[in-house]
Amino acid sequence: MIEVIDVTKTYGKKDQTFTALKNITFTIPDGASVAIVGKSGSGKSTLMHAMSGLDRPQEGQVVIDGEDILKLNAKKVDEFRARKIGFIFQSFFVQANESVSDNVSLPLEIAGVARSERKQKIAAALSSVDLTEKVANKAKNLSGGQKQRLAVARAIVNEPQIIFADEPTGNLDSVTGQKVEDMLFSYNKEKGVTLVIVTHDADLAEKCDIQINVIDGEIASINKKGSN
Amino acid sequence: MKLIDVVRRAGRSLRQAKVRTLLTSLAIGVGAFTITLSLAGGQGGRDYANAIVSANTDRREIAVSKPIQTNASNGVKEYDPSGSSAPAAQSFGDNLNEKDIEKLRTFNHVESVTPGYSPTVNYITTNGQKKYVVQSVSSYTDAVKLSFAAGDAKNLGDNGIILNEEYVKALGFGDAKSAIGKTVAIGATRQASLATGAPEDKEFSYVVKAVTSESGLAFRAQGSLLVSEPAVKTLYDFVSQGTPAYNQFFIASVMLTDQQYAKEAKAEIEKAGYTAQTAEDLLGVVNTFINVLLGVLLGFGALAVLTSVFGIVNTQYISVLERTQQIGLMKALGMRRRDVGRLFIFEAGWIGFIGGAIGSGLAILAGTIANPIISKQLDLNGIHLLIFDPFQVAGVIVMLVIIAILAGVFPSRKASKLDPIEALRTE
Repeated sequence: MIEVIDVTKTYGKKDQTFTALKNITFTIPDGASVAIVGKSGSGKSTLMHAMSGLDRPQEGQVVIDGEDILKLNAKKVDEFRARKIGFIFQSFFVQANESVSDNVSLPLEIAGVARSERKQKIAAALSSVDLTEKVANKAKNLSGGQKQRLAVARAIVNEPQIIFADEPTGNLDSVTGQKVEDMLFSYNKEKGVTLVIVTHDADLAEKCDIQINVIDGEIASINKKGSN
Repeated sequence: MKLIDVVRRAGRSLRQAKVRTLLTSLAIGVGAFTITLSLAGGQGGRDYANAIVSANTDRREIAVSKPIQTNASNGVKEYDPSGSSAPAAQSFGDNLNEKDIEKLRTFNHVESVTPGYSPTVNYITTNGQKKYVVQSVSSYTDAVKLSFAAGDAKNLGDNGIILNEEYVKALGFGDAKSAIGKTVAIGATRQASLATGAPEDKEFSYVVKAVTSESGLAFRAQGSLLVSEPAVKTLYDFVSQGTPAYNQFFIASVMLTDQQYAKEAKAEIEKAGYTAQTAEDLLGVVNTFINVLLGVLLGFGALAVLTSVFGIVNTQYISVLERTQQIGLMKALGMRRRDVGRLFIFEAGWIGFIGGAIGSGLAILAGTIANPIISKQLDLNGIHLLIFDPFQVAGVIVMLVIIAILAGVFPSRKASKLDPIEALRTE
C-alpha cells in the first residue's frame, strides 16, 4: 500500500516560491494500476518523483509498507529504490552502446544480486518482453518499440513491488505503444505489482483502476474504475 | 553495488570510447616511458659501477696514502743555491715508508698490508724476438677479477707471469694458448750498483702462466704485466735499492679480515693522519653522480605525468557531461553516490593502468633493443646498462594508477553530485 499524506513541495527561496504540490493526500492499494493525469507543468511528474523517493517534498509523508520513505537517509532511499521500484521513462534511457543483456543487468548489479543469479533473471525478463533473441545485440540497434520493451525488462528484472512509468508510450506509435501498454498491464495483473503511470493520454488513463487528476499541484479528482 | 561490477562497468565504458581512452592513456604513457627508462638506467648504472668496483677491488681492501701537501700550505720558499731547499726528485714527504707500513699492520682488523710496488722496467722479450717497452709491472691480487683468454692465476709462483693479449701477439706466440708455458724475460736497470756505483742491467725470466683477455670491468690491472707479490718485490728491490726512492710508497693496500670493518678501520687509519679510501667510497662517488642524473631524468618524467593529469581531468570531466543521462538513470535506479563516484574513479584508474602498461612496455622493448647497441658503442663487452627490475616497473604502474585516480577525483565528485531528476529531464 502507498499512502501519500499531506505532501507539499515548493521550489525557490522566500520571495519567489513556487508551490509544485499542495497538500496531496491519497492511498493506493497493493496491486492497483494508477494513472496520474494532468497537463504538462501540473506537477504530476513531481508527484511521481516524491512517491518514488527521487525527490524530497518539504512537508508530508509517503508511507510505503508502513515506512515513511521521506524520513529515510540517502543510503536507505537508494536501497529502497533499488529493491522495490522499477522505472520506465518516456525517452527510454537505455544505454545505446551497451548490449541488451548489460542494460537489463544494471538494476541487478545495483541491488547487489550475485552474478550466478543474474543470468537467469535477465533471461526471464527478456523473454517476458519478447526480446530473447536480441540478448547479445547493442541497444542502439533496436527499434523504438524494442527499446521501450527493453526498458520494461529492465524495470521488472529485479521483481519490484511498484513500477513507475513516466509517459511510457509518449514516444511510440500507436501499435508499438499498445504492445508496451499490454505488457505493463498483464505484468501488473499477473504479478500483482502496483503500476503507477504518469500520462496525459486519456485512453491510457482509462485502462487504469484509479485515475488521479492533478491540476496546478492539487488533486482535482480521483476516479476509481466501476465507481462512476 | 559490488566493487567488481563497478570495475567491470568502468572498463566497459572505456572500451566504448577506445580512441579517447587510448589518447588519454598515451599522455600518461609518455611519463611512464621516461620514468621506467630512467629507473632502468639508474639501476643499470649503479650495477655497472658496483661491478667495476668489485671487479677491481676487494671490499676488505683500503687504499692508504699520505695526505697530499700543497705548496700553498707550506708557503712560497726562497731558492737556496746550496740545494737543501730544492724539492726531491719525487715529493717523498707525501709517500709512505717502511715505518708507516709497520704502523698500519698494527691496526685492528688488519690482515695484511701490501706496499704498492711499482718498479720501472725497460722491456720484455723472448727468444729470438725484439724487445718491447713495458708500461708497468704490478703484483697480482685476486681482488681484481680478470678474465683469462688462456691459463689461470692459480699457480703463479715466484716466477710466473700473466701477459695480456697485446704482448702475446707482439712476442710472436701466435695465440693465447700457445703462449702458456713459454719463457719471457724482463729487462731492468739499477741506477747505481751497490758494489760499483755504476748503472747495472739485469734480465729476469718468467714463465707465462695465463693470458688476460679484455674485460669491460677490470681496469686496474689492464695493460700491465702481472707477477706475484714476492716477484714484484724482487724487481722493485733491484731497481730502487740504494736510491732515495727505496722503500717509499705512494700507496699501500690494507687488507682487512672482513669487509664489515671497512668503515671502522678507515676511521682509525684517517685518525692516524693517513688518507684512506674504501671500495664503498669509490662507489659512493659514482653513485652520487648516477643519482643526480637519475633525478634529472625522473624530473622530466614527472613533468610528463603532471601534464597527463590535466588530460585525464579534462577527458573525465567531458565524459561526465556527456553521460549525464546515464548517471541520472543509474542514480534513479538506486545506485549510491559513492558507487557513481567510484565508477569514474576506476575509469581514471584504468586509464592510468593502460598508460602505465603501454609506456613501461615500450620502455622495456626499447631498452631490450638498445642494450646491445649501447654496450657495443661504449665497448662494455656485453654488459647491459638498462636493467628493468620487475618490481620497479610494477611500482611505476601502481604509482601512475594512483595518480590517475587522484586526477579522477574532481570529475567523479561532479558525477556523484548530479541530481537524477535534473539529469533525466527530457526537455
